Amino acid sequence: MNGKQFLRSLVLFAAAPALALAAAVPGEKAPDFSEVDAAGKTHALGDYKGEWLVVEWFNKDCPYVRKHYGSGNMQALQKKYTGEEINWLTVISSARGKQGYLEPAQALEVARSHKLNASAPFLLDADGSMGRAYGAKTTPHMFIINPQGEVVYAGAIDDNDSANPAVIADSTNYVAAALDASLSGEAVDVASSRAYGCSVKY
Amino acid sequence: MLLAAALAVSAQDSASGDHVRVRWLAPDSFAAGETETVGFYFEVDPEWHVYWRNAGDSGAAPRFDIAADEAEVGGIQWPFPTRLPIEHLTNLGYHGNVAYLFDVTPADGADSLSLDVNLEWLVCRINCIPGFGSMNLERHVGPSANWSAGDRSLRDRFARRIPAAAAASPWQVVSLSEAGGDRIRLTLEGTGEAPQVFPLDGELLTAKEPALRSDGGRLHYTFERVPGAPRPEGSGFVVSDGERAWQFDDIPFTAAAVAPEAQATSLWWLLLAAFAGGAILNLMPCVFPVLSIKLFGLISARTGTAGRLREGLVYSAGVLVTFAALGGLLLALRTGGAAVGWGFQLQSAPVVLALVLLFWLMALSFSGVFEFGHRLMNLAGHSRGGSFATGVLAVFVAAPCTGPFMGAALGAAAVLPAVSAMAVFLGLGAGLAAPFLLLCASPALLNRLPAPGPWMEKFRQLLAFPLYATVIWLLWVLGRLLGDSGWLIGTLLLLVVVFALWLGRNFARAGRVAGYLLAIAALVSAFGALRVPQTDRQQMAQGEWRPYDRAAIEQARADGRAVFIDYTAAWCITCQVNKKLVLDTPEAMALFAAHDVFLVRADWTSQDPEITRALAELGRNSVPVYAWYAPGATEPELLPQILQQQMIAALFDGLFSGESTLQLTEDERP
Repeated sequence: MNGKQFLRSLVLFAAAPALALAAAVPGEKAPDFSEVDAAGKTHALGDYKGEWLVVEWFNKDCPYVRKHYGSGNMQALQKKYTGEEINWLTVISSARGKQGYLEPAQALEVARSHKLNASAPFLLDADGSMGRAYGAKTTPHMFIINPQGEVVYAGAIDDNDSANPAVIADSTNYVAAALDASLSGEAVDVASSRAYGCSVKY
Repeated sequence: MLLAAALAVSAQDSASGDHVRVRWLAPDSFAAGETETVGFYFEVDPEWHVYWRNAGDSGAAPRFDIAADEAEVGGIQWPFPTRLPIEHLTNLGYHGNVAYLFDVTPADGADSLSLDVNLEWLVCRINCIPGFGSMNLERHVGPSANWSAGDRSLRDRFARRIPAAAAASPWQVVSLSEAGGDRIRLTLEGTGEAPQVFPLDGELLTAKEPALRSDGGRLHYTFERVPGAPRPEGSGFVVSDGERAWQFDDIPFTAAAVAPEAQATSLWWLLLAAFAGGAILNLMPCVFPVLSIKLFGLISARTGTAGRLREGLVYSAGVLVTFAALGGLLLALRTGGAAVGWGFQLQSAPVVLALVLLFWLMALSFSGVFEFGHRLMNLAGHSRGGSFATGVLAVFVAAPCTGPFMGAALGAAAVLPAVSAMAVFLGLGAGLAAPFLLLCASPALLNRLPAPGPWMEKFRQLLAFPLYATVIWLLWVLGRLLGDSGWLIGTLLLLVVVFALWLGRNFARAGRVAGYLLAIAALVSAFGALRVPQTDRQQMAQGEWRPYDRAAIEQARADGRAVFIDYTAAWCITCQVNKKLVLDTPEAMALFAAHDVFLVRADWTSQDPEITRALAELGRNSVPVYAWYAPGATEPELLPQILQQQMIAALFDGLFSGESTLQLTEDERP
């Protein structure tokens, strides 16, 4: 290192990575949100303070969403955990005109036809603000937020990125595992995974 | 022959789905005992894509479930991919048709073999369609393999794109390390145009094109990490020059963020920088008055050289102990996971209020408003304890004046191992103490200072004014921390203190007791009244400057806008000077406006984990930091800590871009 380089390194010392997309990161505070659901009710992160919250990204036309809804897998999870006093919000971030976008009335109908068991009919995030804040990349991208408002899991629903519903039986469900571990006071084994699926249609 | 033909065209020789047709690339017959590479040839409609083994941010790799009879089959060989940006994501896959290959070896003595395959694939343009199919291959095994010429050359074309062993690569791995919490950096060594690098592990890294920087023969690829992904022992990559590729399977992570061998050579430079930074601190407006007073005390005291040397040493001890304590606290908080930085003590309202009070008393004393016996003078005056206290004080008030050289040393201290970090802190302390110690130790130097006389009384009074200014500034900091009540609490306390002093001076014993009681009551209520309001960062926006918001910055950069981020704090005087003299001038604002620059003011006056994290990503833990993202640039340029008008102008001349001004230097070796 010569003197000039040294000076340069002093004056302009930097490990300068590009800024990342905002995201919900396991171990950190969950990003705030405030969205209106298909029935017109507003949900904000603050409403769920002191409670567990699962957030799921949805697009009815995505084959991977169909994998988990067609098989009943997602609704079964929703039913099981909302039955244990866990809140579950299913979010549609498709922009108007993009695949999966639903008007409120359509969303209510899809919630019925899909037998959605979430805590609210779909949250309609057509401007993508909540999706971008969370860094939701795919449908179904899953997040778990603890009563302290911290993210404890972000990623795929399970470890098998096949679109074939037949593989569900042999897959490890990361969301169920993280919730079960958290509720029994244990550390979450897998807190992050590659969120497989279709891109969110912002 | 007829039978063979019938077998070859038997059912399920191909599979198809929306936008995709799959067929075999295989010989009409296999050679006994010889391994043959065969494949699935995917013919994909224009603009639709199928994927690599790591499909990237969405999508999925095809799956092949192969059951072989009378043959051994190897694993799937994946031709190197290309990056496919789709909207906000990046996938790894193929433009157009592709063949996924695998090896087949006929069993000994077999005269025919058969493969039954279940396939699943995903084909996407923006929307994705999964496809399923099953295919079957039945072939004779004969004396020689028998290919159709077209299929063999097609097979060969894709075989050339299968990554070869790492040893044959013209680029070799130097290191793989964490670069900040959410980046991973791969450093390669080699010549020629920089190759494409694709991560094998989609659980660890996103598929986004890594930021590339080259220095000499080295290429640094900085990848974005999947949020929260734990760091494995190692990770794999495929390196490609666009025609061929090489696979590095399990590169172990380098232990620390800074390569250890780089540390060894650069620690001395960092210590030197720390020392220089500390020495320069003496001239900063925050520190200078305190030291002037101390020096003034020394001159008037007329102690001998030995006595002065002792004073100097005690003062140095005060400085070093305080730096060690701050460093220790910083390190303890760092291991505790808290994100703090230099100057963090001024993010605490009680500390600021205490300093307000101290400076107020000192200023009053120097103005001759009251003689506090020798007790206050002890603080800045004669006794040994006083020298120690001066040292402590000097460090505390130095915090807001991050001078040249300090940013680098403190930034490094934030990531270095504890021992090295502590050494850097002590280096700063040594630098701060050195000039004073030198004056104390050298009668020759001291004799150059003017002889004591009546002028000293005036000088002492003069020095009260910088102290009053400091009080005003600290009150302003308090106001920024607490809102309007900060001003009120601070000034009321000062008023009561002066009143208490007046009582004590004018009404003998009862007055003194009343004064003490009053002062204590005022202190208790003032410190009790400190309430940090929930700061609304929106309120911090000033004019064109937007508050720090990671998503908004990312959006502006994605839109191709230039971004300028001013990392600042109310208690950082250097920041305020730059703001007033350079950034908020009409000239600079006009330049920013003309080039549609997205301006961000990241206000670190109060503790803010987001901003602390952003600073850490820039390798800093102090302000000011000025980060400039040219339109489309993936990495920011950092401007010097002391700004000048022409530096802003130069941003738009392109003078301030490129190698000469921004080089990441932590990897540099002699």
